[in-house]
Amino acid sequence: MNKPIDKLLFNPIRLKIISTLINTSECDFSYLKKITESTQGNLSIQIKKLKENDYINIEKSFKNNYPQTTCSITKKGKIKFEEFFETILTYKKS
Amino acid sequence: MNTSEEQIEIISKVINSTKENLKPLSVNFIFWGSLIVGMSLTHYIFPQFIQSTEYSSLLFWTVLPIIGMILTVFYNIKVQKKTGYETYLGRAIKIIWGVFNLSWLLIIIISLLKDVNPVPDILFLLSITLLITGLIIKFKPIIFGGLLLMLFTVYINYNPSINFLLVNIIGISLGMLIPGITLYKSKVDE
Repeated sequence: MNKPIDKLLFNPIRLKIISTLINTSECDFSYLKKITESTQGNLSIQIKKLKENDYINIEKSFKNNYPQTTCSITKKGKIKFEEFFETILTYKKS
Repeated sequence: MNTSEEQIEIISKVINSTKENLKPLSVNFIFWGSLIVGMSLTHYIFPQFIQSTEYSSLLFWTVLPIIGMILTVFYNIKVQKKTGYETYLGRAIKIIWGVFNLSWLLIIIISLLKDVNPVPDILFLLSITLLITGLIIKFKPIIFGGLLLMLFTVYINYNPSINFLLVNIIGISLGMLIPGITLYKSKVDE
């Protein structure tokens, strides 16, 4: 029997966020908006959900008087992504 | 609902679009290669001008590289801001060259205190840094450039009477400038 899939990463926007962060040490909000092709509001909600589940870290700062949000993946986020990837591979094979 | 194929496609598409852009690194190599070769050539052609006072040569070889460092730091910050992310590879390269800059300053200070020529130590440090960078990014011209510069430093140690300016011109051209141009061209052609 296949392992249950992580519902948090099953969402395409959240999956795009985690896939970006797995490859980067840090990433800013505007790049995530571009890569996920989502609206600012929707992206904020998805980022918040990942943060609440300890998949990502969020750092807020100011650069040239503009607020800047930088995200990075946590250790738990990395493990969850790897597990998710293995699970979808087994789903693909079966 | 997404199928597993679609999920895999999302992951591979996102990971492929978030790869390290090595063009700014090549710009750094070309800038520093040109600066050091240009400075060495100026010193070699106009020694009476560069060595006109007791400290003029020292000022020439410290002030210009420090200005160069400031310019490259600003350039790299601007590039990262524009990109919007930092890859692990980019972070590793940044740390390696940051340590190089710090070590370069230490060598300059120690050589001033001990009144010795810093060129062999700086070239050796540069050769190691180039070699590590080349191996990390898996780019053969930079690996060979680093190795070549390392051989140069061995040669300098056995021939201390050699003109260090000529060594700089040949060593930096072959070890940094040409590999930098090759890297730039390969990234433009991609």
